Amino acid sequence: MAIDTATTKEKIRNYIVQSSHADADKIKDESMIFREGFFDSMGFIMLITFLEEEFGIKTVDSDLIEENFESINAISEFIQRKSQN
Amino acid sequence: MSTRKLFAKDIILLENVEAVVNNIIEQMREDVLQRFKRNGAVVGISGGIDSSVCFALVARAFGPEKVLGVILPEKDSSPDSEMFAKELAAKFGVRAIKEEITGALSGFGCYERRDEAVKRVFPEYDPSTWKMKIGVRQSGLFSNLPPIFYLTIIDPEGNVKDKILPAREYLQIVAASNFKQRTRMSMLYYHAEALHYAVIGTPNKHEQEQGFFVKYGDGAGDVMPIGNLYKTQVYQLAEYLGVPKGIIERTPTTDTYSAEQTQEEFFYQLPFHLMDRFWYGFENGYPPAEVAAVMDETADRVESLFRNFERKRNTTEYLRMPPIRDYYQG
Repeated sequence: MAIDTATTKEKIRNYIVQSSHADADKIKDESMIFREGFFDSMGFIMLITFLEEEFGIKTVDSDLIEENFESINAISEFIQRKSQN
Repeated sequence: MSTRKLFAKDIILLENVEAVVNNIIEQMREDVLQRFKRNGAVVGISGGIDSSVCFALVARAFGPEKVLGVILPEKDSSPDSEMFAKELAAKFGVRAIKEEITGALSGFGCYERRDEAVKRVFPEYDPSTWKMKIGVRQSGLFSNLPPIFYLTIIDPEGNVKDKILPAREYLQIVAASNFKQRTRMSMLYYHAEALHYAVIGTPNKHEQEQGFFVKYGDGAGDVMPIGNLYKTQVYQLAEYLGVPKGIIERTPTTDTYSAEQTQEEFFYQLPFHLMDRFWYGFENGYPPAEVAAVMDETADRVESLFRNFERKRNTTEYLRMPPIRDYYQG
C-alpha cells in the first residue's frame, strides 16, 4: 500500500523539528537540512533510525547519498521508492 | 591592503622550529611554575606522536627529574604502545611508570556495557575471541551529509563484518569506551596531585578544533603545548626534539578498540598531510578555488569540504566549552 505523501512529509517534518530543536517555521519541504546545519552526524544516524522504525524501510550503504536526505522532499521521495520496493 | 600569502602546499611548514620550541618551553615554564605554582609535569605517554612530542617538550622545559611519564595500558591496548612509550622515556632520561587500568575499567563496566551494545547489532559477536571497532567511511568528507558510523567485527579467522551503527548502540559504545580516556585522566591527576605537578594535555590542533577528544578525558589537562599546532608541525617538532624514529614512523591509531584502527578511518577521513593544508585554507579564509588549484581538487569539492569543517567545528563546540556558570549576574 502506497504511503500518502503529505502524511509522510508531515511525519518527517515533525521529527526534524522535535529532534533538531529548530524553529518550525524555518523548516520547509525544500530546506537543505544538512547544508543549513539542522543536523550533525548524530542527528543523521537518529534520522535514519527514525525512518526505519516509522516507515518500516531498511537503509543500505548505497542509500546514504545527499540526493536521498538533503530535504524533506528528498526524504519523502526516498521513502516512497523504498516502500515500493 | 591584505598581506596574506598565496596558498601553497608548504604554507603550513614552520620556518624556524627551534624558535617555536623555545617559545613553547618558555611559556610552559611561566604557566606551570609561576602561574599555577606547580613544580613539574605529568604526561600520559601512549607511544603516539602527540604525547611523545609533549613529553620531549616538558623534559626540556622542567628537566627530566621534574617530569613523570605514565603508561596507561588496558586489555585492548596494542603492546607496541607500551614498548614505544618505554623507549621514549629512556631516550629523554625521564622516569616512567606503568598503571594498568583494565581493573578500573572493568569496575566501571566499560567492556560489559560496550559489548552489550555490540551484541545487539551482531548477536554472534564473542568478545573473548572476536575484535571490534567503529569508524566512518572516507567517501563522506566531500559530501554535504555528515559521516555515518559503522560497526566492524572480526572473528578469530579474520572474517570481517560491518553494519551501519544504529543511534542507541553508537551512543552506548562511545559512552562506554570513553571510560578509558577519563580513567586515564583520573590517574594522571592522582600522580600530579601527589607530586604537586601539572597535567600536560596532549591534543593537537585538529583534535581540539574538530572535537576528536573525550571531554574531561584526553581533552583535559592544565596546559596543552601542541594544542595550536597542525600535525605536520608536530612531526617537525618531533624530528627537531629527537623523538625516536619508530614513533615518528608509526601510523596514528586510536588504540581504543580491540581491532586495529587508524585515526583516519575512525574520524578524520583524510590523511594528515592533506587535512592540515585544507584546514589551513579553511580557517584562514582562502577561497575554495585557490585551495583547489594547489591541492589538485575541484572548487566544488573543496567548498563541500569547508562546509564539512564548519559543521564539525560548530557541532563540537560543546566539547571545548567549560561549564557555563554566568546565569546569575548579581
